[in-house]
Amino acid sequence: MKILYSWLADFIENPPPPQELAEKLGRIGLKVEETKKTGASFTGVCVGRIEKIDRHPNADKLALVEVSDGKDVLRVVCGAKNIAVGQKIPFAKVGAVLSGGELKKAKIRGVESEGMICSADELGLEGYDNTGILVLSDCAAPGADAAALFPKADYTLEVEMLPNQSHCLSHYALAREFCLFYGLKLKEAEIFGGAAPDRGLPVSIEAPELCWRYTAIVMRGVRGAKTPDWMAERLRAMGSNPKGNILIDGANYVMYELGQPLHCFDISKLAGPEIRVRRALPGEAFRTLENRDLKLDPGMLVIADAKRPAALAGVMGGLESAVSDLTDAILIESARFHPPTVRLASKTSGIRSESSYRFERGTDPELTVKAARRFAGLILEAAQGAKVEQVSDNYPVKYQPPVIEVSPERINAILGTGIAAGEIYACLKAFQPGIRDVKPWKFLVPSYRKDIESVWDVSEEVARYIGYDVIPSESAMPMRPSCVTANWAACAEMKNTLAALGFSEAYNYDLVSSREIEACALDAAGAIELRNPLSSDFQYLRQTLLPGLLKTLRYNLNRGRDSVLVFETGSVYAGKDAAKTERVDCAGLMCGGFPEGGFWKGGQGSAEFYHLKGVVSRLFAGKGGFRFEKPKKAPEYFMPDACLEMKLGGGSAGYVGRLSPAVAGAFDFKDNNIFYFEVPLDCLAAAWKPDFWQKIAKIKPVSAFPQNWRDLSIVLEERYAWGELERSFSGIQDLASARLIDVFKSKNIPGGHRSLTIRFSFSSMTKTLNDTEVGERMSAVLAKLSKGFGAKLRS
Amino acid sequence: MPESASAIKWKEKLSAIRDSFSVSIAQKPAGNPEALELRFLGRKGELALLLRDLKDIPLEERKPLGALGNTAKEEMTVKLAGLRGAAGPSGAAVKSDLDLTLPGWPFPRGSLHPLTHTMNRLAEGFLKLGFTMSDGPLIEDDHHNFEALNFPPFHPARDMQDTFYVDLKDASGKDMLLRTHTSPVQIRSMEKQEPPLRVFHTGRVFRSEAVDASHSFTFHQIEGLYVDKGVSMADLKWTVDAFMKDLFGSAVKTRFNPSYFPFVEPGAEVEMSCIFCKGSTGRCPVCKSTGWLELMGAGMVHPNVLKGCKYDPEKWSGFAFGGGIERFAMLLYGISDMRMLYENDLRILKQVQ
Repeated sequence: MKILYSWLADFIENPPPPQELAEKLGRIGLKVEETKKTGASFTGVCVGRIEKIDRHPNADKLALVEVSDGKDVLRVVCGAKNIAVGQKIPFAKVGAVLSGGELKKAKIRGVESEGMICSADELGLEGYDNTGILVLSDCAAPGADAAALFPKADYTLEVEMLPNQSHCLSHYALAREFCLFYGLKLKEAEIFGGAAPDRGLPVSIEAPELCWRYTAIVMRGVRGAKTPDWMAERLRAMGSNPKGNILIDGANYVMYELGQPLHCFDISKLAGPEIRVRRALPGEAFRTLENRDLKLDPGMLVIADAKRPAALAGVMGGLESAVSDLTDAILIESARFHPPTVRLASKTSGIRSESSYRFERGTDPELTVKAARRFAGLILEAAQGAKVEQVSDNYPVKYQPPVIEVSPERINAILGTGIAAGEIYACLKAFQPGIRDVKPWKFLVPSYRKDIESVWDVSEEVARYIGYDVIPSESAMPMRPSCVTANWAACAEMKNTLAALGFSEAYNYDLVSSREIEACALDAAGAIELRNPLSSDFQYLRQTLLPGLLKTLRYNLNRGRDSVLVFETGSVYAGKDAAKTERVDCAGLMCGGFPEGGFWKGGQGSAEFYHLKGVVSRLFAGKGGFRFEKPKKAPEYFMPDACLEMKLGGGSAGYVGRLSPAVAGAFDFKDNNIFYFEVPLDCLAAAWKPDFWQKIAKIKPVSAFPQNWRDLSIVLEERYAWGELERSFSGIQDLASARLIDVFKSKNIPGGHRSLTIRFSFSSMTKTLNDTEVGERMSAVLAKLSKGFGAKLRS
Repeated sequence: MPESASAIKWKEKLSAIRDSFSVSIAQKPAGNPEALELRFLGRKGELALLLRDLKDIPLEERKPLGALGNTAKEEMTVKLAGLRGAAGPSGAAVKSDLDLTLPGWPFPRGSLHPLTHTMNRLAEGFLKLGFTMSDGPLIEDDHHNFEALNFPPFHPARDMQDTFYVDLKDASGKDMLLRTHTSPVQIRSMEKQEPPLRVFHTGRVFRSEAVDASHSFTFHQIEGLYVDKGVSMADLKWTVDAFMKDLFGSAVKTRFNPSYFPFVEPGAEVEMSCIFCKGSTGRCPVCKSTGWLELMGAGMVHPNVLKGCKYDPEKWSGFAFGGGIERFAMLLYGISDMRMLYENDLRILKQVQ
């Protein structure tokens, strides 16, 4: 909320200077986001007239200008391009005080300058054209004080208002808060005090559950009343656009001043005339001040005349009953409405006004009369012959201040302080001068502080009153053991391993477009959709991390990178009908040269399937029961014959493979040399459950005897996979490992066949194996290979 | 026992190999140790071939000859090792032909995201203070995200957090939403566990806000909750201060200003003394020369929140505090535009180690 320093100062006796005030507001929880100087604070500047322009003898870009100040003609040096003879300009003579300080006599390139023609910046004026000197209006009289042409020097403070600070939403209210907490004296605004009868125009509240108070003042003879300049100036500084009619501007002024939204009806346009505060009828039509047609419903409250709604309560007035320059008789409305009703009406109608903003936060029940009278007083000042005819105050249920029992022990227990009872009592007394020192203290909540409901709220006020620094930093908290979640631990291990293997971690959004979902060969219809997306680019919850990683790939390829290894962990969301909608995945992608940048000795290649399979093997190294399998059904975005499923203890642990050409094409990549894996983390998280120690495999002893190895080269049909061969070796006595060292095809090998070279290592726990024994074991291997796979020794 | 002719010939060959090895190694400049090793000791080196010839020598003579061969091998190995050393016993200066400035093998180097580093560090801070990690879903219901945290329906406090709704319904028929803060995990923890408890949670949150330099519809938070008997705001202040000192060093100061979050009362905003300008005079772009950085929100758990979780507020009290991960990361890494964190430019990501 914008606050004018001068306006605030109207209500504070001896206010501190603006910067100090801002700092002090911050310490009581009213954060000032910006303090800005406005208006004219310069002195010694008069209106000048440019009489003559000559070239500077020693500088091409400077001019010698003769300026008349109404009496004398003085010569100054000027560098601005927008000067012209006859212009009225702000002319600063030696001794003037400008934004940069006091102006001194100066010689510029050898020529004495007897003053300065000023720009807006040099005058310290904000919001004016600053491209050259500031050209003044033609009617300004030379010699007159230039400062008089601008608003007076002031400051605007931008104060952040939190939802619980409805008691500070005006200049007066903020001043009240400041005075209360800093012990200053609060000054009151001038209020019209005249009496008038409560009769004439009938006012009735038909929905007292939604309208808690309705104060009305009827005035006549207000036609043609203009907004005074001082008021228009303040409204402009608040960023509001004054209309010149005090019936409109004055209502806004009082709202900014006291916090009570007001509205003015033209009585000649009210049927009856009368005022009925009632619920809207189903489907009832209403045209707003801004000429918008609304259909209302009984959840909304309206201010109606005898026939139709004249205002949507607390939100906006109606066009038909609005005041104009011809209006002579008015009804001033100053009411208190049920905040949720105003909020709902504002949301459904899509109209947010300064008025609804205040009503939905809750207004002060004891403010309506004061605000209406203040407004009436301002109109009386501006309109010769205006008269107050009626003052009505419908107040069906009077505000009963809640009483909170307060003890110093309880306050100190909440805050952890040892504040003396007297100090706490002083705070309560500042709020409620009539409080009596009888324990337990009975604290009556002021009408403007509906947010104070309990002793916890009172303790906050005490801490604000004394200052939050009164709370010590001390604790006798007991120690407690702590641990992370299983998912976090599994995730951390994945992340660290992948980073160590060369992958960089990406963070993408959870929200994707239908185009991206379909580009991944998935169905957008099954994805969870936002009801209120910011744009169609971010409309669905991702079902896989793939689209984000492909975007990351493209972003980096477009920036000239030829090797991309990235990964991400994050939530993915199953379809609407899935039993479990959320899970955390870890996915990685590999594309381009590998290792990145190559090696000067050679040996660089491109990322390929076996690289990523190796990465996945590393991720699962040491996890019991891990193996790769041919998937029964791989996700659609993989090439079906270039994809493996990971299995861990019988369950699926994700997929690794090459992306399908369709997906690569849909994302505009020129080929599908893109390798991708994804792992659901919950399959790993089990290993970090508190009983993890039971799952740790015991270390196996190793043989004390030398190991023997033999290489075996065989030829067999290509249809036999290495994985099958490998499994067949189980049961060979003393076999420590069987490692594939070469896969080979040539014209010497029959078609449809390939040659494999396998290194078998043998090791016995009890002795050194001799040649014969190793030979026997190799025979067993060969027998398995020839019997199971038709393998022959390569000659 | 007389030696066989083949054995004598074998010995002569051995002696010749040793001689030629000695000559080679004494040359100035000395030969390349790798080349010498290959020539004499390699798998097809002179000595290896000679040892293989042993098979043609009568069995009974093989053993002593083999031993001789092995002794020679050991000698040569030791001498070669000496040659490899900067100055061997022979005193020969040894020159390597390696160009040491050439790059080493390019082991791939990856990186963790700056937000991960930041989150890990902050989580560690909570763990040290005895907070146990807890977890909750990202798709939440209105109850956990708002109602139970003392945001009544139609309360303007809901405007503080613009919410994304999804096309799923909760048990009461209300639209499910993407959580707007990590605080629903407070409620889930209290529902699951009897007091006392000390838990924290970190993760992703969502707000329906347009993306610019300081706003994102996705960001991350971390927050802790402690409920026990007799917990006061002094405990909160100590904990926050200890947390900040753990992160930024014992010289930093913290202070509280009054603030408002519906689920705490009293509420506070935590400021830390500026670690960049250390309060010195002059312009500081980070703290805007105020000397203080606003980092977190904090407060005593609101009695309505405790009651909603069936904790008796007359018996139990607690505090909560937390903040945005992005805010910390941007300060620590000197990032001025939040969008950079979601662009995934490897030139930037790889700078973070």
